[in-house]
Amino acid sequence: MQCFMCGADVGDNNVCYNCGADILLYKQIVYTSYVFYNQGLERAKVSDISGAIESLKSSLQYYKYNTRARNLLGLCYYQIGELVRALNEWVISKNLQEDNPDADRYLAEIESAPGYLPKINSTIKKYNQAIDYCKSGSRDLAIIQLKKVISQNANFVKAHQLLALLYIEESKFADARKLLNQAAKIDSNNTTTIRYIHEVKSRLKDQNTGRRKKKNDTVSFMDGNDTVVMSEKSFRSMLDNSGASLMNILLGLVVGLLICFFLIVPTVKDNAKDGNSKTILALNEQLADASSKNDALQQEIDGLKNDLSAYDDKQDVATSYDNLFAAQNYYSAGDSEAASQYIQLVTKDVLGEQGQQAYDTLYATLAPAIIQGYYDDGNNFYSEENYESAITNFKTVVDIDENYNNGAALFLLGDCYRLTDQKELALECFEKVVELYPSNKWGKQAKVYIAVDDTKLDAKEVGE
Amino acid sequence: MIDFEEELKKYEPAIEVEQAEADIKARDLTDLTDLLFNMTAQNNGTK
Repeated sequence: MQCFMCGADVGDNNVCYNCGADILLYKQIVYTSYVFYNQGLERAKVSDISGAIESLKSSLQYYKYNTRARNLLGLCYYQIGELVRALNEWVISKNLQEDNPDADRYLAEIESAPGYLPKINSTIKKYNQAIDYCKSGSRDLAIIQLKKVISQNANFVKAHQLLALLYIEESKFADARKLLNQAAKIDSNNTTTIRYIHEVKSRLKDQNTGRRKKKNDTVSFMDGNDTVVMSEKSFRSMLDNSGASLMNILLGLVVGLLICFFLIVPTVKDNAKDGNSKTILALNEQLADASSKNDALQQEIDGLKNDLSAYDDKQDVATSYDNLFAAQNYYSAGDSEAASQYIQLVTKDVLGEQGQQAYDTLYATLAPAIIQGYYDDGNNFYSEENYESAITNFKTVVDIDENYNNGAALFLLGDCYRLTDQKELALECFEKVVELYPSNKWGKQAKVYIAVDDTKLDAKEVGE
Repeated sequence: MIDFEEELKKYEPAIEVEQAEADIKARDLTDLTDLLFNMTAQNNGTK
């Protein structure tokens, strides 16, 4: 490295031993310049042109021979539409460092584009003229000029900002917002642009709130194909009238219902009553007819029954006489058992006086055998524990002769009742046995059963 | 709230091509190294 004072080679020393200059401080200054350059480069890469310009200017204030920083500064000016400033930086850069290929290229491109520089110069003049118009109060002319400037030099950020300011002043916030968005795309961190955007947003918010309030004052609705717009007050008034109409309709309905209830319903009820009365009368007539028919039929049935009974009696008379003769014949032949069976088939009441005498005589003769037969059957059923059948036979015996076999039939009948849980009938039989035969075995056993209601006695022990 | 008139004052005319040469000449290109040079020179002179 050479000394910035005397040009002597100082190597890595911090002090020039030739002239005594502070090399370290010089190095620090140059280093700081490059730091600012790097910062400017980073900002330019993210479209923060304003920030980049600020950093690059700082870089050049530290070290004016930082050619890269100056060339980049020119590019930044070019980017925001300030071509003359860009040209100035590149020219200075070229003057400070002759071997400067980047600056040469930029200048060559500008010069090689036919009509470009005059055109840009024209836009700059128009921009300056617009500023004059604004200051003189001719905003409309200023807007016209600025529109031309932007159409010819789309990157001219200051023109965007000035036109946006005019739109804001004219309350054309949407247009202003559009311009500011375009400016923000070119230079994203320009404080003026950001401040105007906030202003536009704030104004738009206020405007929308006002519109909403205004909108709320009117009501619109479709009436067929027409859209009716009316004030809220008128709309409410119309609704109130609709309410009155609704009330009238409801009142009409109520009156109609009352008329129906007081006039039509009673008539319908009367008609229904008449209809019911007629129906009842018709039914009564039918009932009377049916009753008379029933009586006639009953009389007919009674007559038929009488005829039938007369016929049966006639038949029974003949049968009874036949059975009586049969019994008489079997008894005469010595077959008492057959005679007993036949005489039991005879109906005594249908017989004549002679027949009844003959029946009594024969029956008295055959009675012991008949009773013995029932008693034996009863015993058999009792042994087989068929107590229902035994009861039938023993009862027949007892009805004929309750003393039969010293009260055995009566006791066994009671025992059958006991075994079939007919306690009252059983007790009645046992008491009668005790009354008739208190000292024989049937009477003693009956006493036991009477005394101890739950005594169990095997039927075989007492049956015969 | 932006004051239009105040805001308008911030806008200055842009440099036209015809003014470029004058602008370059008017530029003060002095940097910190120049100041250091002058300071060092002054120090050396006094010595």
